Amino acid sequence: MKKLLIISLCFPLLFSSCKKDDVYELNEVNATSYNANKNKLKSTNQYISIVHANLFQQALSANELVEIDRCIQSIGDKQVAHEIILSNFMNKGGVIIPSDSLMRDDLDLFIEETYKRFFVRDITEAEREFFLSFFESHPNVSAEMVYMAFSLSNEYQYY
Amino acid sequence: MKRRTFIKKSTLGGAALSIPFILPSGRLFAATGNRMADHVVFIAFAGGVRQQESVLQQYLDGSQDYPSSGNIMYNLLDGAAPTDKLVYGENNSNNENVPIPKLLSQTLQQQGTLFKEVNASTVGHYSGVNTLLTGNYMYSQGLRVKPLRPTIFEYLRRHQGEKATKTWFVGNGIGNSIPLLDYSEHESYGSQYGANFLAPTITFGDDGEKHLKNAKIYHPDDELDPMYKMKYFLDNVWYSQGNALPDIGNTIEEKAEIKQFVKDMFVKKENGTVAHPPYAASGDGQTIGYACEVMKRFKPTLTVVYLSNVDSCHANFTSYLKSLHGADHAVGHLWDYIQNQIPEMANNTSIIVSPEHGRNLEPNNIKDANAFWGYDHSDANSRRIFNLIAGPGIDSNSIIGSESNGVGDIVNITPTIAEILGFKDDVINSGLVYNNNSLFDLI
Repeated sequence: MKKLLIISLCFPLLFSSCKKDDVYELNEVNATSYNANKNKLKSTNQYISIVHANLFQQALSANELVEIDRCIQSIGDKQVAHEIILSNFMNKGGVIIPSDSLMRDDLDLFIEETYKRFFVRDITEAEREFFLSFFESHPNVSAEMVYMAFSLSNEYQYY
Repeated sequence: MKRRTFIKKSTLGGAALSIPFILPSGRLFAATGNRMADHVVFIAFAGGVRQQESVLQQYLDGSQDYPSSGNIMYNLLDGAAPTDKLVYGENNSNNENVPIPKLLSQTLQQQGTLFKEVNASTVGHYSGVNTLLTGNYMYSQGLRVKPLRPTIFEYLRRHQGEKATKTWFVGNGIGNSIPLLDYSEHESYGSQYGANFLAPTITFGDDGEKHLKNAKIYHPDDELDPMYKMKYFLDNVWYSQGNALPDIGNTIEEKAEIKQFVKDMFVKKENGTVAHPPYAASGDGQTIGYACEVMKRFKPTLTVVYLSNVDSCHANFTSYLKSLHGADHAVGHLWDYIQNQIPEMANNTSIIVSPEHGRNLEPNNIKDANAFWGYDHSDANSRRIFNLIAGPGIDSNSIIGSESNGVGDIVNITPTIAEILGFKDDVINSGLVYNNNSLFDLI
């Protein structure tokens, strides 16, 4: 009788141990951290070289780098100096910027790629929300204006 | 005006003048002293000047053992010019050296007070200008480091609530770490009280022509406004990460004014209408011309101009003499320009002229094309300088001190500027200056 009791008690355990668990598989996503670990300030030369390479997709010559560095040093308010230098770039031919119509075709993709291009990180949902809403309320904002804002931003001064 | 209206207006006006207000720093502001003038122009003159060729007027007699003496700075100082072996002027079309005609009808010495023998204990360019601007001997501070003590710009802006575009530091070039002197690293002061630095020979020189001149001027409402809004958002996100960049605090409107000024200067340069001195071939002359334009546009409360061409004395004494003569002409032009072309500053501006240090008594072993010896700056003679001040409330035609009785020190300049602009007590109370005396206290 005692033996029968033990067998009857173990019987349900036998079935439950064979129950198949659900397995969830995740696709791997490479996400950069919120600030992409940027904590060092770019030197003037680094900033100018990088922004030129970014906008023109080609390197600045050594001579031009020295000349631009001197120009920036000659103006105390660095934001003013950078703005003048960058707007001078924008007046040159050869800056590679998406057309405004391309930008407006897919604003979500445009701002996502702009974050990657300038900040080397993924956009956060809060940032995406801000820019999509900003573009909607400012229909005349061009890709050039967005690129200027990113090039002049403080985050872009860091690496 | 009816009596009642007068009383109402004068009461409101009086209240507005006497009620303290809050500065952007959060500090309660109340004026601490009366101003002697509403504007000060300080000329850091002009890269290391020997007493022998300036106030002592020895010309070649004091340096090259050639018996020709006289005054080659006849806009600043009283005294007859040399008559023999003239090499300090400009070359004319016949390649003859002709001194630049005197520009001021009254010398600055006649218009003000000359401190004939002043001490300058630092004998380097950066350390000298650093001392002039901070009122401290920064013996332990090297090049390529911002001042450790507050500059006069920061005292002015913090204690008087001046806008950034009311303080300018115009330098002849960017060498010797000069651009770093626009503000200090001091924790109670710093970038938010800094001056607007400009090195016009570069900004408007060949480099600027190539990289600044063709800058696009964005429409302030349609383009700049949304651009700045996006930047503001991006910077706020970055700031929330604990990162911020130094900023001298120009408002959006002030930044726009500066950009427009840069744009306008290129046009003026092309048209040949920059307010240069009549003879402005040198960098110092060009710098003074653009300093005049800065003053005309912004009417700064404090303008500091750094001239440096005489430093050629290391290897070219002839060039040094020409530069000294040219700097005198340029400063004379600047003073004349203020009095005659900037009505808001005329008769309401004080000028201070001080070399950052002197030069050696003994020459080095470098000779120039005229076989004149060069002079460095390292011995006791390098510690000898003069100071010159002129403007409202300053004694005219007065000489303080003599070669055997020095009066004044380079560290007295910062309190002097502060006294003229009515905030000397704030500077002294900061406890951060080497000496509390202004030049006025020594008279």
